[in-house]
Amino acid sequence: MSATLSRPRAGRRAFTPGQAALAIAIALFLAAFLILPVATVMYVAFTEPGSGAFTLVNVWDAFRTELFVRSFLNSLYVSAATVLLASLFALPLAYITVRFHFRGALLIQTLGFLPLIMPPFAGAVAMQLLFGRNGTVNLLLGDWAGINIPFMEGLNGVVFVQAVHYFPFILVNLSAALRNIDSAMEEAAQNLGSSGFRLFRRIVFPLALPGYVAGASLVFVKVFDDLATPLLLNVKEMLAPQAYLRITSIGLADPMGYVISVVLIVVSVLAMWLSARAIRRGDYATVQRGGGGLARRRLGPGQAALAYGTVGLILALVLAPHLGLLLLSLATIWSFSPLPDGFTLAHYARVFSDSSAYIWNTVTYASLAALIDVVLGTAIAYLVLRTRLVGREWLDWTASAALAVPGVVLGIGYLRSFYGVTLPDGRPLASLWLVIVLALAIRRLPYALRACHAALQQISVSLEEAAENLGASKGRTVRRIVVPLMAGGILAGFISSFATAAVELSATLMLVQSNADAPLAYGLYVFMQSAAGRGPGAALGVIAVILVGACTFLSHLVIERSQRTRGRQA
Amino acid sequence: MQRRSFVLASTLGLSGALLAPGARAQAGKVTVVTSFSKDVTDPFKAAFEKAMPGVTLDVQNRNTNAGVKYLEETRGNNQVDVFWASAPDAFEVLKSKGLLQRYTPKATGIAPRVGSMPTNDPDGQYFGFAASGYGIMWNERYARANRLPAPKEWGDLALPVFHDHVAIAAPSRSGTTHLTIETMLQGDGWDQGWRLLKAMAGNFRTITERSFGVPEAVNSGQVGVGIVIDFFAFSAQASGFPVKFVYPTVTTIVPANVGIVTRAPNTAGAQAFVEFLLSPAGQAVLLEPGIRRLPVNPEIYAQAPADYPNPFKDPSLGARVRFDVDVSEKRTAVVDTLFDQLITFQLDALKAATRAIQAAEAALEKKDNAAARSLVREARDLIAAMPVSEAEASGPAVAGAFGGQRAEGPRQAELEQAWAAFARERYARARDKAQEAARLAR
Amino acid sequence: MTPGPREEEAAALSVAGQAAGVRIEGVNLSYGSNHVLKDVELEIRPGEFFAFLGPSGCGKTTLLRLIAGFNQADTGRVLVGGRDISALPPWKRDIGMVFQSYALWPHLSVRQNVAFGLEERRLPRAEIAARVEQALGLVGLAHLADRRPAALSGGQQQRVAVARTIAIRPRLLLLDEPLSNLDAKLRVQVRRELRDLQRSLGMTAIFVTHDQEEANTVCDRIAVFREGSVQQVDTPMALYARPANLFVAGFLGSANILAGTPREGRFAVEGGPALPLPAGLRPPPGARLMFRPQDASLAPPRPDSLLTGTVAHREFLGPVLRYGVRVGEAEVLVDMPFSGVPRLHEVGDTVAITVDLGSAHWLTE
Repeated sequence: MSATLSRPRAGRRAFTPGQAALAIAIALFLAAFLILPVATVMYVAFTEPGSGAFTLVNVWDAFRTELFVRSFLNSLYVSAATVLLASLFALPLAYITVRFHFRGALLIQTLGFLPLIMPPFAGAVAMQLLFGRNGTVNLLLGDWAGINIPFMEGLNGVVFVQAVHYFPFILVNLSAALRNIDSAMEEAAQNLGSSGFRLFRRIVFPLALPGYVAGASLVFVKVFDDLATPLLLNVKEMLAPQAYLRITSIGLADPMGYVISVVLIVVSVLAMWLSARAIRRGDYATVQRGGGGLARRRLGPGQAALAYGTVGLILALVLAPHLGLLLLSLATIWSFSPLPDGFTLAHYARVFSDSSAYIWNTVTYASLAALIDVVLGTAIAYLVLRTRLVGREWLDWTASAALAVPGVVLGIGYLRSFYGVTLPDGRPLASLWLVIVLALAIRRLPYALRACHAALQQISVSLEEAAENLGASKGRTVRRIVVPLMAGGILAGFISSFATAAVELSATLMLVQSNADAPLAYGLYVFMQSAAGRGPGAALGVIAVILVGACTFLSHLVIERSQRTRGRQA
Repeated sequence: MQRRSFVLASTLGLSGALLAPGARAQAGKVTVVTSFSKDVTDPFKAAFEKAMPGVTLDVQNRNTNAGVKYLEETRGNNQVDVFWASAPDAFEVLKSKGLLQRYTPKATGIAPRVGSMPTNDPDGQYFGFAASGYGIMWNERYARANRLPAPKEWGDLALPVFHDHVAIAAPSRSGTTHLTIETMLQGDGWDQGWRLLKAMAGNFRTITERSFGVPEAVNSGQVGVGIVIDFFAFSAQASGFPVKFVYPTVTTIVPANVGIVTRAPNTAGAQAFVEFLLSPAGQAVLLEPGIRRLPVNPEIYAQAPADYPNPFKDPSLGARVRFDVDVSEKRTAVVDTLFDQLITFQLDALKAATRAIQAAEAALEKKDNAAARSLVREARDLIAAMPVSEAEASGPAVAGAFGGQRAEGPRQAELEQAWAAFARERYARARDKAQEAARLAR
Repeated sequence: MTPGPREEEAAALSVAGQAAGVRIEGVNLSYGSNHVLKDVELEIRPGEFFAFLGPSGCGKTTLLRLIAGFNQADTGRVLVGGRDISALPPWKRDIGMVFQSYALWPHLSVRQNVAFGLEERRLPRAEIAARVEQALGLVGLAHLADRRPAALSGGQQQRVAVARTIAIRPRLLLLDEPLSNLDAKLRVQVRRELRDLQRSLGMTAIFVTHDQEEANTVCDRIAVFREGSVQQVDTPMALYARPANLFVAGFLGSANILAGTPREGRFAVEGGPALPLPAGLRPPPGARLMFRPQDASLAPPRPDSLLTGTVAHREFLGPVLRYGVRVGEAEVLVDMPFSGVPRLHEVGDTVAITVDLGSAHWLTE
């Protein structure tokens, strides 16, 4: 057969020694920087307090405790509901901007990504000031209509904030997947009489499913494991906050926090595994001719109004926190009022005078970490999807499990594992800033991995076979064919990792050894501990957002450009 | 803040830069791990470095919990000289793990007690350098909009008008809040103290997991009233936030401490820093508006503004209760866990019951009814009921479960589950009784 | 593989009597400065199998996609069955299209692929099932209905794509290079199947191809495209016999084209001899001489030979031997019938070419 819609036949080919060596190298890396440090902390879950003897009684206790069972169910509910709400935000944005001639599509892709960059503490304060019980929206609603909407109350408040925060995971992955769909797939359906939402539901969305599931499973797991948002809303009856509170409370030495952490990890891996299984059932290799994606269509006047309206509404909602952050950074005093009392640039002056090192550190750490992530992510995705190596999936599960490891556990694990190792000059290994980079890379690896995995899944094996047939070795095929075709997905992974690493705090707080080595999130934390630091903290937050936003925009520019050169003429 | 050029360079210059002796602990550098904000550390850093030319103070900001874990985990290769934070319980943990050095400060003029607390650790491992009083902070705009009266006493916060308007930090998360709770329990007695606490807690809007979460919420007007340390309110006022603060008649004074870390790389520098904090010059820094803490050297108050609170002159500032450190130490974890299990994690149920009682009482104000009154009393008793007595709380069977050691009694998880079930069941019954009372009174 | 279309199924899916004619009136289309379609006028009759033929980039696929509704004309209109469909979106046109890549949806089974268009038309479930069976039966794939497309061979996929399209009984069937992804042997078979299918269903069909043999064998009439404009529309034989211009002549079959100037009853070939013209023949100004290789013959040169050259190459094509003869700057192809032991001209031989100028064509660009 000269041409077939051949599926990515995972494991159709035997592996080469090079691939085996690669797998072993990755396994060693993960063992050294993820499994070992986490294990040094987590083993407590299975020991008897005091004696240290192995026991499962702690697990048994956890499942008998009403609080933990309630927390577990709450976490499940919040995660599932968040995926739904986040999909509602992400689907229209992704579809409209990728499939139509849409002014500012690039800007929207970038803006739609910003919510992921929610600077710790400052973002929370800004959101409370806008959506809280006495935030701008509710104060105005109270004046006009005498009502108060509990945006940020209870479990549904967590769902709202999490959906706003994490929907970009779906947006980024889904957009990449949509870009990879052959336009003929959609045109064939139109030709057969399908249009509008039915067309999307029956053809476009199923074809983009790998990207969607990659994003949705990330959102699910991330929300399941996230502790910052519930704590900011003072919702403590969820698993991750319970684990965090127990592990970090001084003087409490019971193992329950670690037991919950183990539960978090197990559930996360399970969710990833389920999502991978769901995808594998279908056949999603839709890039036949090196992709190029859909010819973008023009919108009619009515459609355009609807599209701009939808996009504007969603963006207004999801970017409100950043608007709040901007206001906060410019505010003199903002307290129980719809808008600040006055505006000033003094906070920026203060930040620039004494915090510029934070910015450079952040860029360095986050980009190095993201680089490590996409290299590992591409390699793992390749090994999983294209080789028959024994246990290759364990690389995937292990790397994904990092998502569920609380940052503080990883931080403690790093100190425990690497602080005893001394460098030639007498300093402990853990005091190098490179250790922060590694911790960030491990924490954000799952993001890049999911994106790379989805990208590779969409590429037909025949494209690689063609290269091999023309005499390219496996290594060269990967370099010259696979990686360029995956570029969109790899870049999406890089952005996700970079942006979130740039505002990561929990592991960093443990590992920062001196102010000169500290990243932005740490500086933000330091500011946000006092009333006078709120403005400068917000200013630093704005700088972080702009910084990451600019990098994101550049990356999108690169994706668009490569799309254009690859795009086919009708 | 020095800018290290190598962070700009990427991996190319990496190895060389990493091995450069830039961050090497060297003579003349004192490394401090602290939970204090920049507002506090910057003036001290400036004053200390000015007083000791050639010495730099390297400040590492970590929250108290992270700081303690950090010292624990890095003890094998310790690079930190000084631990500097408010919460005495954090110092107790460090002390119990042998992470603090014994030292006798040479500074003179430091009062042995401030408020009801001893200033220094009796074993000489950490030293109070400042004090702060607990009190009530509220947002004026919020109070006006919600027609809240100005609170004066802790008991005021249990009034129906404050329902859903009050915030506090969880004592398990905030060492100073823990001390405040413990002081109330010691002052009013175990049962009466918990009764008052739970009556207040029935009005809680939120229980934060960070000390600063409370003033933050009050500053931005998300919560009306907060139970906070004074300097949070004072520094907010200094920044211009529309907040007020009051010390209740019976307040607690909590010390802020400093300790020298075992095997500190620069012990001499650490001692110098401690001495500086306790010296008149260091004590005077506390008076700065952005810091505003109470010096432990009574003579410094002469330099303070006229309305500055002075625990050594004003007997209401924490002097009423004679704080028993031994009692506190034995039951620290038990008190915190009781608070979490009976209040924090049952807040919805507790508030529902409290709301029902308040409604019933409001109905009774209009039309009295003896049977209903008795039901309300029963409901209040149900809420106030405690699963453990004062004696049990420090006894081996209960307190032993929290030591992290193998104990003969029930495991911590079993105790927690039992306490939570105890509270849940009683709060539900209290609500039912109060609703019944409201029906009778109607 | 597949026998011809089954009569029963064909009858069920037949649109005979409803097949639509197509009129394309004054269509222009530009992408920026790139004028892709220029004043296209076409008339396709109901039930006709029509081809758009031309080299790649000539606009034939653009026009096909325009008929399907995937491109919008700048000016002009398209009428199907007498009705202007220019304003209709693709999904309201009832025009079937088979894509070059087949565009089978990988997440749906063969059956689901074929049922798709029927489901979109909200047909009763029973009818959908029946029509799917018929369509798959017609292409001989009923036994593979539950497979995923990826599990099929290229030829099978192609037939699924066809079945999917004819299941909706379109008034008009568009085929975008449907054979280009098949190997040579399969191509011959499938094109015959397509032809039979179209006949038995009575559909109007438009077939886009760059392969003149495909167009010739399958289609009733052909429109030859070049750089966005239609060069000539006629039956395959007429196009071959009476090409309208040099492009058509060159594109359909092999052609010898000699530039020159008519002068005093002779045609002076550029860089070659002057050939005597039959009496009364006046080539139009600027015209070139075109003749098919089989309309010339070779002989050993004689002193009076007018057109001589050197054999540059020789190909054995079975029934004929094709010689390439260098005449001045040009190369002339000459086919000599192959019969047993022929008299061969060897490469390097000087030969005389005889052309019947009476049967030759005088064509312009």
